[in-house]
Amino acid sequence: MRTVTLFTLSLALLGAAQAQGGTIKIGAITSVTGRFAEFGKMQLAGFKVGVEEVNRRGGVLGRKIELVIEDNASDVNKGLAAAERLVNAGVPLVLNEYSSSLVKAQAQYLARQKVPALVFSSSGDDITKPGNDYVFRLNQPATEYARVILNIFRDHKFKTMAVIAGTGAFEKSVADAAQDLAKSYGIQIVEDQRYDKGLTDFRPVLNRIKAKNPDGILMVSYAEDSVALMRQAREVGVKPRLFAGGAAGFALPEFVKDAGSAAENVVTATAWIPQLRYAGTQKLNVELKKALGGQDPSYHAAQAYAGVLAAAEAIRRAGGTDREKVKAALNSLTMQTAFGPVQFKDYEGFRNQNPLAMVAQQVQGGAFVPVYPKTVVPRTLKFER
Amino acid sequence: MDQAGLTALIQTLAQGLLTGGLYALIGTGLSLIFGVMRVINFAHGDFLAIGMFITLALFRTFDLDPYLSLLVAAPVGFALGFVIQRLVLARLGDRLSEGSMLATLGIGLIISNTLLLTFGAQPQNINVPYATNTFQLGGVQVSIPLLIAGLGTALAIAGLNLLLYRTELGRAIRATAQNPLGAELQGVKTAHIQAIVFGLGVAFAAVAGVLLMPLLYAFPTVGENYTTKAFIVTVLGGLGNLPGAVAGGLVLGVVESLGAYYISNNYRDAYGLVAFLLVLLLRPEGLFGRTVKRV
Repeated sequence: MRTVTLFTLSLALLGAAQAQGGTIKIGAITSVTGRFAEFGKMQLAGFKVGVEEVNRRGGVLGRKIELVIEDNASDVNKGLAAAERLVNAGVPLVLNEYSSSLVKAQAQYLARQKVPALVFSSSGDDITKPGNDYVFRLNQPATEYARVILNIFRDHKFKTMAVIAGTGAFEKSVADAAQDLAKSYGIQIVEDQRYDKGLTDFRPVLNRIKAKNPDGILMVSYAEDSVALMRQAREVGVKPRLFAGGAAGFALPEFVKDAGSAAENVVTATAWIPQLRYAGTQKLNVELKKALGGQDPSYHAAQAYAGVLAAAEAIRRAGGTDREKVKAALNSLTMQTAFGPVQFKDYEGFRNQNPLAMVAQQVQGGAFVPVYPKTVVPRTLKFER
Repeated sequence: MDQAGLTALIQTLAQGLLTGGLYALIGTGLSLIFGVMRVINFAHGDFLAIGMFITLALFRTFDLDPYLSLLVAAPVGFALGFVIQRLVLARLGDRLSEGSMLATLGIGLIISNTLLLTFGAQPQNINVPYATNTFQLGGVQVSIPLLIAGLGTALAIAGLNLLLYRTELGRAIRATAQNPLGAELQGVKTAHIQAIVFGLGVAFAAVAGVLLMPLLYAFPTVGENYTTKAFIVTVLGGLGNLPGAVAGGLVLGVVESLGAYYISNNYRDAYGLVAFLLVLLLRPEGLFGRTVKRV
């Protein structure tokens, strides 16, 4: 099924290609198969919408663009092999995908090969902190995921909180950032539990947290764990004032569907929602939904779309596909997209990082509604107690 | 220890016991098969996965309540076990004990890959309204599906006991376990009995899968973990010892939960393995085993 979509996608892209000097080929890696395929599906849709938009506007330097999409099969080594294939194919830059554990290895490899890596979805802090001249990231780093949740906790005078997070690169990054922020906000972390992949019974951990009765719980985990966590949290009767998710699994439409009533009132950080007030967000949402065959897009799709636009813009400014010139163009890039403004800056120890804040949304009546910050016309937060 | 801590501890114990009940159910099937046939069934967890996916498919297609799929999963499990024993294991003849390992490993691979092709690798769950319902007593909360699983386990094991000790078939099974040749000479169709026993063991695994479905998500390799658990349970209780398997399951569930609560979550599977190794070292016949094998 997925291969079919991929195949038709490449056909569509090929079909759109004009023979005028051939197309400009841009490398892209995502999880077409494997554990992260759910996110990969979103990103393929975002790529498609992005490429169509660039080509509709006449392409870049008078040529159409085309993505060379490689599958990482949700696996570190296969991801590296995918990056290697793209380097050998001579692409001017590589759009880099979702899982921090995979991207970190790829970004290091690409930097060594002096190929610009444009990361658009992975958020482990250490991708751009300390970073590298060749690695750029247009989406928010993990610190921001934690910050938006901790800001809500602070604004509502939470005194104590608990953390449950997986041990993957991304989860660890968000949870560690939450530790630091909690310290500076004066919120006490009463439990910090990290779990290994494959755990299905969170009850003992949740029992421990229940005994401490914290004001807030921050959970950072992937799709199926998010559902299991919330179901079991209801089951053991742990009752903080707010359950909060650090995006990933919690921000997916499936989370609300699969967790059902257990998902009610859960707040999650998210990188993008259609209610954001950038130009073209609604239109982008409609197009992404169409590309997904009617399924609601998650922020991963919007990130992939923005990645394509930024890559095209960088090539346009570079005046060609020379890797060094593209890198220089990325350095000075400023643009507005429906995902948000894109600009690569050095700040707070980050390098070539787009300084973009996150939004928070809450499940109310079985659907996500925006609750934070003020820029999204927030609804009123609902508390568990 | 304060009140909240005590409540959390009691809750952890209760959840450990109920989870242990499920382990017991899985271990009982494995132990029964070993006790009668001397077959080590490496596909046991995969049969559990079949039970899970039957539940998932029926729920998705007909909106059937997961507990009603017991009526489908148990007979299907039995039939599957019966047929596999007849078609595969029965043909191994004298090489049954070593051949069965390879045969069941192969069967397990076929099952998990068939599930992969049919349902995909994504973990999937079903969302029933009562999935998060709880039963409260004091401050202690226990999940209703977990309670049902515990109850289902008790019923299944009680039923098996009645079958073994109150029916003619049960006598035949016990006779086959104790002395296959003697039973055959007394007119027991041991080949037929062995197929029935393998069917029963698989049915137990499938029933455990059904009971797990409201609590867990299904994915093709979900069984692997449970195969390991079943082996631990069986060894804890003594190979082929049914009451031992029940006790072993409960011990494992409690040890895991308490370990996760007090020490760390991440060594969860290690606690069971440590218990397993200790038993192997100190009481090779199992916690409750006697050196004489019995069913």
